[in-house]
Amino acid sequence: MKRYQEAAAGRRKGKKNTAKLRLAVFGALVLALLSVSIFAEWICPYDPNAQDLSNALQAPSPAHLFGTDRYGRDMLSRVIIGSRTSISSTLILVAVIAVGGTVIGVVCGYFGGILDTVIMRISDICLAFPGLVFAMAIAAVLNGGVRNAVIALAVVSWPKYSRIARSQTLAVKSTDYISAARLAGSSPAGVILRHILPNIGGQIFVTAMLDIGTMMMEIAALSFLGLGAQPPTAEWGSMMSGGRSMLQTYPWVVLSPGIAIFISVVLFNLLGDTIRDCLDPRNGNRSAG
Amino acid sequence: MNRKIIGIFLALGLLVTSLSGCGGGGQSASSGAVGQGSQSAGQSGDGEEGNGKEPGTSGETKHLVWGDTTFNAENGEPDINPHRDNSGWACIRYGVGETLFRFSDSMEIEPWLAQSYENVDAQTWTITLRDDVYFTSGRHMDAAAVKECLENLTAEHERAAGDLRIAEITADGQMLTIRTSEPVPALINFLADPYGCIIDMQAGVTEEGIVSGTGPYQAVSLETDTGMELVKNENYWNGEPKIDQITVRTITDGDTLTMALQSGEIDAAYGMPYASYPLFENDNYTFTSCATSRVFFGAMNFESEITRDPAVRKAIAMGIDKESFVETLLDGNGYAAVGVYPDSFAFGGDAVTTETYDPEGAAKVLEDAGWVDSDGDGVREKDGQPLTLRWLTYPSRQEQPLLAEAAQATLGAIGFDVQINNTADHNRIRTDTGAWDIYVSAMVTAPTGDPEYFFAYHCLDSSSNNDGHYHSDRLEALAAEMAKTVDTERREALAVEMQQVILDDNAYVFCSHLRMSMISKASVTGLTAHPCDYYEITADLDLQM
Repeated sequence: MKRYQEAAAGRRKGKKNTAKLRLAVFGALVLALLSVSIFAEWICPYDPNAQDLSNALQAPSPAHLFGTDRYGRDMLSRVIIGSRTSISSTLILVAVIAVGGTVIGVVCGYFGGILDTVIMRISDICLAFPGLVFAMAIAAVLNGGVRNAVIALAVVSWPKYSRIARSQTLAVKSTDYISAARLAGSSPAGVILRHILPNIGGQIFVTAMLDIGTMMMEIAALSFLGLGAQPPTAEWGSMMSGGRSMLQTYPWVVLSPGIAIFISVVLFNLLGDTIRDCLDPRNGNRSAG
Repeated sequence: MNRKIIGIFLALGLLVTSLSGCGGGGQSASSGAVGQGSQSAGQSGDGEEGNGKEPGTSGETKHLVWGDTTFNAENGEPDINPHRDNSGWACIRYGVGETLFRFSDSMEIEPWLAQSYENVDAQTWTITLRDDVYFTSGRHMDAAAVKECLENLTAEHERAAGDLRIAEITADGQMLTIRTSEPVPALINFLADPYGCIIDMQAGVTEEGIVSGTGPYQAVSLETDTGMELVKNENYWNGEPKIDQITVRTITDGDTLTMALQSGEIDAAYGMPYASYPLFENDNYTFTSCATSRVFFGAMNFESEITRDPAVRKAIAMGIDKESFVETLLDGNGYAAVGVYPDSFAFGGDAVTTETYDPEGAAKVLEDAGWVDSDGDGVREKDGQPLTLRWLTYPSRQEQPLLAEAAQATLGAIGFDVQINNTADHNRIRTDTGAWDIYVSAMVTAPTGDPEYFFAYHCLDSSSNNDGHYHSDRLEALAAEMAKTVDTERREALAVEMQQVILDDNAYVFCSHLRMSMISKASVTGLTAHPCDYYEITADLDLQM
């Protein structure tokens, strides 16, 4: 029996170490990606918007590692500067929907009543539409642009977080320690800030991390359809759209931003998975706790 | 272990489903097209479904599928009623309608449904019609039928009414007499405009916009922005059409058109993006192409605070690199334009002069006019107003967005902030002078071979498409003179003078004249590009078995 317990503890410790290692690796890679987007202007080998038609559609070469597009713009520079638009808009979007949705969900869950009913029906309506189609309609009304694409996706994406936050709040609200806090005279704001948010924050954070990849794809999709970034702004989705007619003749024009989206989405998803594993009490955190 | 086995089975199932889906795609698409056309045409074709034959050669009927980027409401062609907007282009292009006169390959006017004509006096024309022509409704085409058609045309089509200026039409057997309210020297040319397609008004226009014409093909169903089904006109007067059934498919997106031709979903295409040409430059496909008077051009908005300024207009004209656009983005399928008309016309090409690409000069023009970049953000300002240029264009002419983005860079370099609005909704937006500064479109400037057309359509106070409200006293006077001038040489001289007026005002900037091409499978024969850009499907079109 003792040997069995020791083996189980060993496995948990192994999982915990593996998760830590993955967290370090993927965290470093994501950090590198964020650094590229932050310092894009200094890293770009060429002006990403400078056209040189005499140098159009050059295949990848030492001078232009990712080739050039139909306007003679350096693809590597545009992919690098495009990371700023794509990643920053994605992070802003996820932050807005996670924070906004959580606040709405917690308020609804904690106070209930008519406010809860009304807001949850609104979220039902939002969830009843296919998300991207709804976002396309909103973005079209708002006239395109990255900012409007973020707004459109935020309008359709917040209910997921409000649902999670509300259900978690309802579960936490009925626990003894919340009752004790109330009896001790804590105000509703105090209870929410000191007791409820810290308890549900982990799940919201993991959900947000796993959502980054999805939202990045959706922003790219809106831009691909002409409802996101507008020319000459470099954004991976709009770059793919601009080059899609050349997929068969000059594939690098499409593949460069496509691969950038692929790598970014995979990295954020892996990091999200790893953070979830790290926060999961079944994976060694119990022993640590 | 069980999970692994289930997973393997699921993956195999998915693979098999995907492969069977891929294998059947082409077959079902082609047979579906045949089936749909056969139903509409009321012809036999049920037995062809699923037999795996090529769409064009299935069974004993010849069925051709035509893809076109421009047959849509976006281009003013919601149907084939020639008395509506630009729908006459679709009517004549797809072999449904024919006009009294047509243009030869060298753009010389010649009779078509007419046999001959005589200019009795300055305002009276007698036209003798062919006696062997029948509408697809079965009615004989006589002068009374043509009179009904032309009267309806001038009642419903604003531009036609302004061009033709018909006061009275009399019909006597096959003899048609037209009296105009004032001399209209180019009347015969105007009658060759696509809006002049002769249709049977007694048969009327269906709700879908289908008309009965005299052409080699007859429309049997039509859906705006989707396409049309045609069957051959069994009683066609000018030879037997060789194709039994034609499906015209509206495919506005150039990439989709490219893939449709590659996959064999369509047999021939109009409006292919130049970037896709290399994919078809092999023995499996045939190109037919010729120079046309189609031009990419921008019209300035004279209601706009920005483009009302002559210095701004001049800077725009000097700030667009036409040569590089043509060489690179049009891949050489055209040449940089100077004025309205290409150099194939006596009054075209270098007969006029305009600004050339000179970014430093453009910057100086702006500087001198008080447009300076005072805050260092790269955009000039004047009296606190930034030099923002709202560039309106549309995507169905595939290279127009490319021109917009190229100009955005070159004009941006001299201090403009060019904001592109590339939208299929351009026809509504262009009528709102508060919504744009420059409207860039593609236009055949001399579809009737005569210079009057462009000015009458775009530049005069009475023009239906003078959306930017340009006005020039000098141009109005010259246009009035041209409207009364019969002498060809004088008309040509006037055309040069009128072009120079609008170029000196920089009211319009002409970027490039285009080479028009149609691409088809090698099995398609009898398809020939014409400089007027609107003779496409004819009785000669054939599909080799």
